[in-house]
Amino acid sequence: MNSTMIKTIALGSFALVIALSPLWQAQAQDSGPLYERMAPIDQYLMTDRNTEIAFARTAAPESISRDAEVLVLGRHGYETAVKGKNGWVCVVERSWMAPFGDPEFLNPDRRVPLCLNPPGARTHLPLTFKTTELAMAGQSKTQMFDSIKAAYDKKELPLPEPGSMCYMMSKQQFFSRKAGNSDPHLMFWFPQKDHLDWGAEFPGSPVDIHQYSPQPITEFDISVSRWSDGTAAPTN
Amino acid sequence: MNWKRFAVGASLIFVLAIVLGSALCACSQDAKAPYPSMAPLDQYLMDRNAEIALARSAAPESISRDAEIVVLGQHGYETAVKGNNGFVCDVERSWMGPFENNPEFWNPKVRGAGCYNPQAARSALPIAYLRTKMVLAGLSPAQLADRIKAAYAKKELPPVEPGAMSFMMSKQAYLTDAGLTEDGAHNMAHVMFFTPLMDTANWGANLPKSPVILNPQFNGAPEPVEVYMVLTGTWSDGTPAPVIKDAQ
Repeated sequence: MNSTMIKTIALGSFALVIALSPLWQAQAQDSGPLYERMAPIDQYLMTDRNTEIAFARTAAPESISRDAEVLVLGRHGYETAVKGKNGWVCVVERSWMAPFGDPEFLNPDRRVPLCLNPPGARTHLPLTFKTTELAMAGQSKTQMFDSIKAAYDKKELPLPEPGSMCYMMSKQQFFSRKAGNSDPHLMFWFPQKDHLDWGAEFPGSPVDIHQYSPQPITEFDISVSRWSDGTAAPTN
Repeated sequence: MNWKRFAVGASLIFVLAIVLGSALCACSQDAKAPYPSMAPLDQYLMDRNAEIALARSAAPESISRDAEIVVLGQHGYETAVKGNNGFVCDVERSWMGPFENNPEFWNPKVRGAGCYNPQAARSALPIAYLRTKMVLAGLSPAQLADRIKAAYAKKELPPVEPGAMSFMMSKQAYLTDAGLTEDGAHNMAHVMFFTPLMDTANWGANLPKSPVILNPQFNGAPEPVEVYMVLTGTWSDGTPAPVIKDAQ
């Protein structure tokens, strides 16, 4: 068995575990109220650091993610696991990066890898760090909302720089019980004050939009047809 | 043809022949320069209603039905249908391609249907209007490039606005003589983003398996605008678009 075959099998096994794990856990929770409060921290952590590194990198094609900085979630927040050299940063975001109104805001199964370009890393990651810090400190959703709002009001958190975007093309990403791994897409961030119109959410449009609150950020998602490994994604 | 070469060549309209030039090295000198000069104007014009319909096909009907439609007349683009959603749809001709190393600069078959969002309609579409007006006034590509450069220097052309983008999802468009897809179509479904000049690595363009392609349409020569394309996978009518050659 050569090294390529070993790598292929290892990656396949990893993908299967990642893909199936949320389903098992979701089924186990079917009988009770879901995600009303923070689960034990351990449920949000990935037990194996190398697995999280590999998972984070699946957000973008290997041509981008191999030279990116990679962050992993520790007990006290994100920490650098691999230094990068192309300005990109890959990270697996957890459920609390969803909109505050999302019913799965505290779903510990949510695992969403992103690879952020340099402007995105500079201006979106501070929000990721702040929100994660608040969640892991045990703040309620209301407290988190107020803290994030105050941070933007005081300009402690930056608005998106021009050109801020990220890749979200991991076949193993898991958004929610409803959306599953959704689709591969690119995300672009803008200040809400720009009042942009991308024809989002119109029938037939390839563009989706999220207007966050209290974050003064507009997010556009554009579906693409391939996962980061080059395989075809199902057509919506 | 590898992905990088595809990205350079297939980028929007008009440039693929450059890339294919060496691959198709058996071609004659004539085939390398199939369009050495501007054809008679009539060859670039269309039936007005057909042009309106083609322009609208650039975006899903939910967007283009309320868009302003401009069509090419004897002296430039003119409004054929007033809109009310801020989008503007047009059909661009071959002279919207790069000025240099572009054997299809005068290809009268090219029909690039686009629907610009409000930000792009204000800050990118004026390039099309000016290029077209100058072409129809008889300027050569070199004169045209100089005129564009001067227009930016004098601020007659605006800087590109944040969030400027357009839809190019028309199944009926014709972007280049070369086949872009595995079934030989001269077209591809995509959206375009217009940005100020920046490090193209910022969006991961043209890297293996990246869905982002840098279009060398402007690229600072002379317009200070980058154009990035993202393939959408479906045409504006919702049907699946064919796979792009060597895109993965």
